[in-house]
Amino acid sequence: MAIEVLIFYLLAGVAIAAAAGVVLARNPVHSAVSLVLSFVNVAAIYVMLRAEFLAVAQVIVYTGAIIVLVLFVLMLVQQQDLPEFHGGRPLRRAVGFLLGLVLLAEVAAAILTRSLRGAPGSWPPEAVAAVGGNIQAIGRELYSVYMLPIQATALLLLAATVGALFLARPELIEERLAVARRLFTISLAHPRGVDPLQPVAELPGPHDNERKPAGGDRVLVMARNAEEFTEQPAWGEIRR
Amino acid sequence: MDWEPLIVSYLFGFVLLNVLLLAMAYMTWLERRLVAFFQDRIGPNRTGPFGLLQPIADAVKLISKEDIVPANADRLVFLVAPLLSFVLAPLGALVVPFGDAVTVFGRQVNLYVIDINVAALYFLAVGSMGVYGIILGGYASGNRYSLLGALRSTAQVISYELVLGLSLVGIFILTGSLSLVDILRVQQRTLVLGGLELPNWFLLSQPLAFVLFLIAAVAETNRAPFDLPEAETELIAGYFTEYSGFRFSFYFLAEYINMIVVSLIAATLFLGGIDGPFVDGVWWLAVKAFIFLFFYVWLRATLPRFRYDQLMGLAWKVLLPLALINIGVTGLVRLWGIGAL
Repeated sequence: MAIEVLIFYLLAGVAIAAAAGVVLARNPVHSAVSLVLSFVNVAAIYVMLRAEFLAVAQVIVYTGAIIVLVLFVLMLVQQQDLPEFHGGRPLRRAVGFLLGLVLLAEVAAAILTRSLRGAPGSWPPEAVAAVGGNIQAIGRELYSVYMLPIQATALLLLAATVGALFLARPELIEERLAVARRLFTISLAHPRGVDPLQPVAELPGPHDNERKPAGGDRVLVMARNAEEFTEQPAWGEIRR
Repeated sequence: MDWEPLIVSYLFGFVLLNVLLLAMAYMTWLERRLVAFFQDRIGPNRTGPFGLLQPIADAVKLISKEDIVPANADRLVFLVAPLLSFVLAPLGALVVPFGDAVTVFGRQVNLYVIDINVAALYFLAVGSMGVYGIILGGYASGNRYSLLGALRSTAQVISYELVLGLSLVGIFILTGSLSLVDILRVQQRTLVLGGLELPNWFLLSQPLAFVLFLIAAVAETNRAPFDLPEAETELIAGYFTEYSGFRFSFYFLAEYINMIVVSLIAATLFLGGIDGPFVDGVWWLAVKAFIFLFFYVWLRATLPRFRYDQLMGLAWKVLLPLALINIGVTGLVRLWGIGAL
């Protein structure tokens, strides 16, 4: 027993430290990585509680998909365009502090009002073992007692999927046909994949700053040394 | 706490890891030789007989190279990312059953490291974690090409993981369990079709799922023709452009170990694992996994790389609906008891 308690404290400690890292890290990508670490440690605690399915679902859904998508967006956005995480406006800070206090009170109340061992549920370990394991027990419970919530969730997800498809669908019939044709013609190493379509859209013209000066050649730069030469804007270079 | 099974599991895991590393080393040799034969070349044949010492020479070379960290890199993440990739790669093999229990020194020893009742989901979870090595490595390099490789990898792995997971649901419906040991036991039965006696492999009852799994697994391991994250010709090797020496070799190791692990899992799930004619045993698993590995090399030598939008279109518009149809049909068959499997 003692060794399991020790492992639990190790996992819980790392999970809390990582959760603190999410808030304290300056770089949003580091925050996301800390969150992954925290999730994995929480999943390990689920395994210790014999809730393997919950642990694996947590890893697949949260760390494997959601945080990956968060990182995806973070990497697409320039670092300097991200909102300021630390400091911020005083009102926002105060609201954040208050909400944190409320959450802390909630968690503390939940922990303090229950005894160390919670009330036994309708699935004692023997009953779980009798139906074949964790997953089988969850499946039975979900598809009998929680039938209505499951179907409501399914309906909601279906509506979201249909909405996403509707938003992504091209407006014009021709475009829709073109998309369908592109899907069913997998021609490798072709710039657009299909031949008999409209021509490839023209590339946008060069920016005014990138255009060659009307005089033709580049201005002759007289420089005494290399640094002075490189300080001159090169042709096409846009200085910010 | 009962220490004995724990220690046995750890020892078995240690042996397994070493076998995987050795297999990985010779997989690189095999791939280079095979690709060479496909392309009418000879391949590495100078180091030792048939070039068999080539992997060792490569390892020595990689260890002795300089470990370069770019000035623009996010240093800590850059250093950790390849280790993450490498550590997560062999974990999937822990749930593969390598045979029936054997008796060693008067003790019953199971030939698998762990048998958890969510084994198949565990394999998917480890696979979904493995992408972090690629994403973080690409991001931390501070290089546009690496970042593009990481972005592609993110989108690709999320899409194909869905297909990979859904292609397995048919098997779960037929066996009623997610444990690879249980799935293997179901496959060891005999399927009687008319006058024919066939092995009850899921290749026969779930052919569509098998094809989907194979395609998704190739994409999941970032192998040609789905190797867009590291496309040499467009991205200069993508996420590991900036890595050198031993850190590069960690990515290399991870890729090949992933291939081997996916082959082992595919052999266990669809081809009956250790089940085979004459005597069941780990050799049948090795033969089946080798077939998959050969298939990987064959694909790489044959097919050009997919275009990026085609890759995503294939996953979402072709493979995903097919996987859903497969689940629906399997569920109906199971409900009406036609299969009687």
